[in-house]
Amino acid sequence: MTHWLLPGFLSIGALATLILIVGPALYAISLSFYEQQSLTSDPVWVGLANYARVLASDEFWNALWNGFVYAMAAIVLQVVLGIGFALLLQQPFRGRALLRGLAFLPYLLPTVVAVLTFKWMIDGSLGIVTIVLDTLGLPPIYWFETESAAMVSVILVSVWLWTPFVTTTFLAGLQTVPVQLYEAARVDGAGPVRRFFHVTLPALRPILIVIILLRGVWMFNKFDIIWLTTGGGPLGATEHLPVLAYRQAFTLFDLGSGAAIATLSFLALLVIVTLYFWLFPMDDKQ
Amino acid sequence: MSRSVSAKRLAGRAALYVGALALAAYSAFPIYWMIASSLRPARDMLTDPTIIPRTITFANYHSLLAQTDYLNQFLNSLIVAFCTVLLTMALSIMIAYGVTRQRMRGKRIIISGMLCAYMFPPLLLAIPLFSMLNGIGLADTLLSLVIAHLTITMPLGVWFLWGFFKTMPFELEEAAMVDGCSRLGAFLRVVLPLSVPGLVTVAIFAFLLSWTDYTFALVMISSDANKTVPLGLASMVGAFDLRWGDIMAGATLIALPLFAAFIALSRYFVQGLTAGAIKG
Repeated sequence: MTHWLLPGFLSIGALATLILIVGPALYAISLSFYEQQSLTSDPVWVGLANYARVLASDEFWNALWNGFVYAMAAIVLQVVLGIGFALLLQQPFRGRALLRGLAFLPYLLPTVVAVLTFKWMIDGSLGIVTIVLDTLGLPPIYWFETESAAMVSVILVSVWLWTPFVTTTFLAGLQTVPVQLYEAARVDGAGPVRRFFHVTLPALRPILIVIILLRGVWMFNKFDIIWLTTGGGPLGATEHLPVLAYRQAFTLFDLGSGAAIATLSFLALLVIVTLYFWLFPMDDKQ
Repeated sequence: MSRSVSAKRLAGRAALYVGALALAAYSAFPIYWMIASSLRPARDMLTDPTIIPRTITFANYHSLLAQTDYLNQFLNSLIVAFCTVLLTMALSIMIAYGVTRQRMRGKRIIISGMLCAYMFPPLLLAIPLFSMLNGIGLADTLLSLVIAHLTITMPLGVWFLWGFFKTMPFELEEAAMVDGCSRLGAFLRVVLPLSVPGLVTVAIFAFLLSWTDYTFALVMISSDANKTVPLGLASMVGAFDLRWGDIMAGATLIALPLFAAFIALSRYFVQGLTAGAIKG
C-alpha cells in the first residue's frame, strides 16, 4: 500500500523535468530549423539555413569573441580578488565577522540594482566617480561611448557582484586545510608566499577547479548585466552571444536565428567545458 | 633583533587593517551610496553631494510610490517569488528523495539532466518557453514567469537536496517503518523534519533567484500591470525624466528584504554557496 510513494515522486519529477527542461531545450533546437516571420505566423522549415546565415555573419564571431574576452577577464579578476579577500578574511583581527558579512553583500544584490547604482555613480555630471575624477583633475571617462571603457564597465560590475562567491567558497575551503601542514612548512622555513603556493593552493585545487568551472559557465551565459549596462554597445563592442540571441529573437522577431545562436552558444560552452575537464580532471569525490 | 621583529609584526598588523578597510569600502561603498542617495533631498544631489547626507528625507520614497507603479510591481515580485519557492521546494524534495531512495535504472539521467540544465544559457530556455507559453495563451502572465523561474530553481533544488539526502542514513526511515510507520508516514514524520536545514537553503536561493531575476521577466512580461520590480526599475532609466533619487529608493527597497534575510539566515547562505549549488 505504500509502494506508490517513491514511484509517484519520481513520475512527478520526470514529468516536471520533461516539461520544464527537456521539452524547452528540444523545442529550442527544433525552432532553430524553422523560419518564423512574426510571432503569430506559421513557422516554415528551412533546415540549416538559420545556422548558415548566423555562422556567415560577422556579428556572430564578434559576439563569440566578446563573450570570451568578457568571461575570461571577469573570471580571472574574480578568482584573484576572491582568493585575496579570503586570505585576508582568514587572518584574525577585530571586526572580522562583520567584514565577512559585508564582503558577502554585493552577491545578494539584483543585477538591476548593481547596474543602476553603477550608472548613478558614473553619471556624466552628478555621479560621485565623475566628481572625484574632476576634483583630482583627471579627464572624464566616457564609459558607454568608448569601446574599451564599455567593456571595462561590464567587467567591473560583474567582478564586484560575483567576487563574494569566490571569497566565500574559498574561505570555507581554507578551514579544511590541516593546520599541521602549515606548521610543517614553517618548520622547513617556508615564508607566507611559499606556504600559499605549496600548501594552500595544492590543498584547495579541487575546490578551485569547481569554482572556476561554475563561474566560467555563468559568466559565459550571463545576459542581464551586459544588456542593462551597455545593451551590447557601443557599436557591438560589448555584444556577446546571449545579447545577440536576445536581439535576434525579440527585437528583430527572428526566433529561428535567436534559437540557432542560443544553441550554438550552448555547443561552444560544451566544447569549452569538455576541454576544461580534459585539462583539469576532477577527483572521483566530486 | 627583537625590536626589528616587533616592528615587522606591527607593520604586518597595520597592513592587515588597511587591507580590511579597503575591502570594507570596496564592498559596502556602492551599497552605502545607493542608500544615501535615496535619502538625499533632490536639491542636495545637484549642488552638494557630501559623503554623509546633510539632511535626510523620505521624499524620494514618497514620489516613487506616488508616481510609479512600484507597489504593484513589488506585489507581483512577491507573488512570483513565493510561488516559485513553494513549487521548487515541493518538486525538488520529491525528485531528490525519490532518486536517492528508489532502486532503479536510469535515475542518474535525471541527475545528469539537472546538471546539464545548469549549463543552458537562460535564453536557450527562455526563447522556446516564451514561444510555447505564447502558444497556449499564457504569455505575459505571472504564471509564465513562475514556470520560467522553475527551470533554474528546480535543478538547483534537486542538486542541493540530492547531496543532502545522500548523507541522511536510510536506517532512520527503516526504524520508523519497523515501528509501524507507513512509508509516507516515515517520510512526513522523520525525513521532512530532518531536511528542514536543506529546505531552508533551497528556499533562500530559489527566492534570491526569483526575486532578483531580470532576464526571464524581460522575455515573458510585456504589460505594465505584470511587471516585477527589477523590470519596472530598469524601465525607469529609459524614461525621459531621469530621477536618480527615486531610482535609488526603488533599488534600496528591493535590496532591503535580501539584506534582512541575510542577517537572519547567513549560515544557510554560506552553506548553500559552499555546496556549489548556486547559479548566478
